Amino acid sequence: MSVSISTPPDDDMVPPEIVATVFYSATVSDSLAILVAETVGSSQRLTWGNQGAMQLLGYGLEDLRTLPAAHLFPTLGGGELKLLLRRERTARMTLPIRTASGATVDAVVITTPAPGGRTWTMRILDTANEQERALRATADAHERRFSALTERSPIPTLLSEQGMRLAHVNDAFCTLVGLRAEQLLGTGWIDTVHEDDLDGVIEQVAAALDGAEVEIQARLVRADGSVRTTVIRFAHLFTPGMGAGFVGTIEDITDRLAFEAKLAHQANHDPLTGLPNRTLLAQYVADRFQAGTSGLACLFLDLDNFKVVNDSLGHTAGDELLVEVANRLGATVRPGDLVARFGGDEFVVVCENVDEEAAVALAGRVSDALARPMRLGGVDIRPYASVGVTVQTAEHVAAEELIRDCDIAMYQAKASGKGRVTVLDQEARAQARDKLRLVAELRDAIERREITMYYQPIFSTRDGQPVAVESLARWNHPERGPISPTVFVPLAEESGLITALGRLVLDETCRQLAEWDHLLGTGVVGRGNVNVSALQLDDNLAAQVAAALDRHSLAPPRIQIEITESALMKDPTSAREVLEQLRDLGVELAIDDFGTGYSSLAYLRHLPVDCLKVDRSFVAELADGHSEIASAVIAMARNLNLCTVAEGVETVEQAEELTRLGATYLQGFSLAEPMSGGHTAAWFAAHSEETP
Amino acid sequence: MTVTPFPGADVASAPVFDIEKVLAGIDQMAAQRPVAAQIVSVANSDDTDAKALARILASDVALASRVMKLANSAYFGMRGRVTSLQFAVTVVGFTTVRTMATVALTDLDDESRLPENFWGVTTSLALGASILAPKFGERPQDSLCLGLLAQMGAALLHHNDPDGYTEIITAHPTYPGRRSAETRRYGINSLRLTSVALEQWGFPVAMTTPLKEVDDHQSMDGALLRAAFEVASRLTLEDYEDIPITRITCGRLREDDLVPVLDQVRSDAAELRRAMLGDSAADDPDANPDEWVV
Repeated sequence: MSVSISTPPDDDMVPPEIVATVFYSATVSDSLAILVAETVGSSQRLTWGNQGAMQLLGYGLEDLRTLPAAHLFPTLGGGELKLLLRRERTARMTLPIRTASGATVDAVVITTPAPGGRTWTMRILDTANEQERALRATADAHERRFSALTERSPIPTLLSEQGMRLAHVNDAFCTLVGLRAEQLLGTGWIDTVHEDDLDGVIEQVAAALDGAEVEIQARLVRADGSVRTTVIRFAHLFTPGMGAGFVGTIEDITDRLAFEAKLAHQANHDPLTGLPNRTLLAQYVADRFQAGTSGLACLFLDLDNFKVVNDSLGHTAGDELLVEVANRLGATVRPGDLVARFGGDEFVVVCENVDEEAAVALAGRVSDALARPMRLGGVDIRPYASVGVTVQTAEHVAAEELIRDCDIAMYQAKASGKGRVTVLDQEARAQARDKLRLVAELRDAIERREITMYYQPIFSTRDGQPVAVESLARWNHPERGPISPTVFVPLAEESGLITALGRLVLDETCRQLAEWDHLLGTGVVGRGNVNVSALQLDDNLAAQVAAALDRHSLAPPRIQIEITESALMKDPTSAREVLEQLRDLGVELAIDDFGTGYSSLAYLRHLPVDCLKVDRSFVAELADGHSEIASAVIAMARNLNLCTVAEGVETVEQAEELTRLGATYLQGFSLAEPMSGGHTAAWFAAHSEETP
Repeated sequence: MTVTPFPGADVASAPVFDIEKVLAGIDQMAAQRPVAAQIVSVANSDDTDAKALARILASDVALASRVMKLANSAYFGMRGRVTSLQFAVTVVGFTTVRTMATVALTDLDDESRLPENFWGVTTSLALGASILAPKFGERPQDSLCLGLLAQMGAALLHHNDPDGYTEIITAHPTYPGRRSAETRRYGINSLRLTSVALEQWGFPVAMTTPLKEVDDHQSMDGALLRAAFEVASRLTLEDYEDIPITRITCGRLREDDLVPVLDQVRSDAAELRRAMLGDSAADDPDANPDEWVV
């Protein structure tokens, strides 16, 4: 073939030397395969090929020139060669090319017609070349790795290369939903999403397609209709030339949620009866309580004589009873009412939208239901309950007040006889609240040592001289004024404050004795008598007394412990032990209010006491001419070799009569009133001056 | 160029038929639909993104409205949630946008110029190919596009030789038979013609190979398209005598596999057809481009 460049170069034309250079390099190139074909008659023949084409096809240039173009392209039938050799434009086809050996090579053929439309250059790109093969192998390897990873992965996985339509789903997902891959591919997987969660899932897929990484909790419905709760995590995926898709990985959290729910249930429910516990009850009431409204009611139930069942039939029977009670409660209350086990044998029912009448009616039904006989451990019993009812009023400002009020009502029910229903009235509620407040204030008063001590002198009948004082605790409330010990001592006993109060009285008495010794001289105030509550009679008492004496460097006989007769009779055996400990310590012991506690005289004989205090009621009788009891007590004490203190001496006549009867000591308003520590010191000082 | 009719054919009725002219005609169509042509050329580029495609697409209201409609169709599962054109491109994918542009470019959306029931067959073919694709290790969305475009060659032949092509259809109700007749009459069958056109526009070889190998029953590359034609035939041809599916798919499919596919294609074909052809832009409330977030 000859190339002639006759046209003179101008600005639009490539300079001839450049054309020559490019053409030369194309001619000798072995990496570029170029053929030239032209139309001869009605067919196309090859007229030239470069080095690369010779190499690729295996023909020599001369052989090539005799070859019809169609021979190279065995798959182009009929007139299809014309599709490749277009007259007016470039064409491109991927097709096999027949080489000299008869074998075919896959290639891309790009043809470009010359301006006349009768000659074409044909560029042949061997698709099977090394680089292409390597690229394809790499791509295949990537594909296989990805497939292996996802197919074998136990994590259910979805893959879409385009929109919501799945191109791939792994075995784990198929197993999760119980369907075959072909049922899920495309948009089939969407049908497995629970209808109520579908909108959310589609929204998240849309976000993932837009490039976000998102997750959503959604339920999947399995082929068998069962439902699994899952977390689906969507990640954006982009395939060049294809567009946006996503990878979805699914975590089945059904079992985890069930376990968490079980744990939550265990934390909020009583394991024995399965009822909500106190925590859940508080939460439940708090959720429904709205201050200033009404309609919420609480019933507090406490089984009567539950302890008897436990003690006589055993704890298993007790548990059985509680379960039966729980069942009966559940069957009796209205749908929507909450039954909770408050603790022990206490249950609480919470109802909404009820008035007092309805709540009381419910309490009645509950009582009746519980009172039906049941057989427990071979014994027929009727589990009666005391029921306290509270309906929310305007006074309730916090949810917990409702439960506290029905608790109070239950105690009232119990106090007025068992098996009753009591509605907490406003007065009782106010009283209960006042009492609660007073307890808190008493606690503060003890902590701040605002309980003050008064001291009442005790006189010897022998010479009329004061020999001791009785310590009397006084509480002067900053707002309520003086509060009687008959109020605050029982309050301290009920609320567990009695030990602290007793310790305060003991310590303050010892401190005061030491101070008087310092002021007046040792022994001017011979002894301090301290009252001890029945609740203090335990193994700690002797140690507390010893510590107080030690703290203020006092000899034990400077203190006399007064214990009421009734306190001693509660548990005589242990009382005796405590008294012996105190006696061993060296302190004196007296029985207070003697004659009022129905004590056994035989027993009294064995108690290690030094003194009996004749109760003021017997002293008061003297004025009416009745001296029998006072006389008998004093005589008996003398026979037992005990001294006596007559309390409540209010007249000179009483004092004279008691002296005549043989009382050892006298104490009363007519002789000396209780005084503060300072006044007592002054009183003793003055008294000692009067008496030579 | 003049194609000599196959020996034995009625020489008198043989049309003067120039395949190159047919192909050149496509270029002329492209000039009339510049937006579609631009999409066909841009969508294949590796660095194209949905934003760029949406921007081009927005200037062809009819085409854009079809993409929106398709994105919201049951096929893509978004159930009317696609309101932005860019997101619509994301949902249907670049290949599908490109396919739709090609449909528009080649006037395949003008039913008056197409063989009878062209779109009934095409949607069945496309859905059949898409649903069966996973069985053949192919991507459903690629197969959908292949199915949508496969009959482009037939449309071109019909367009250039309406009477002759109608005769072929009448004389050869089955597709393999029709293809033989096409080769005899035009020197090339319609699928082959499609593959040449697609190759010319740079569609991937994976899409053109099945078109070339559909009649080679030993070739796995053509098996999916053969199966899709069988699905379309069973659904659209009257008195069609089923060909056992196992035979034409190299044993890849059994008759049982085909039952749910036929049902699904039957139920979804109409919607796909509506999405592909669209209503006129004026009739389509979704078609106001001002409302699309591009």
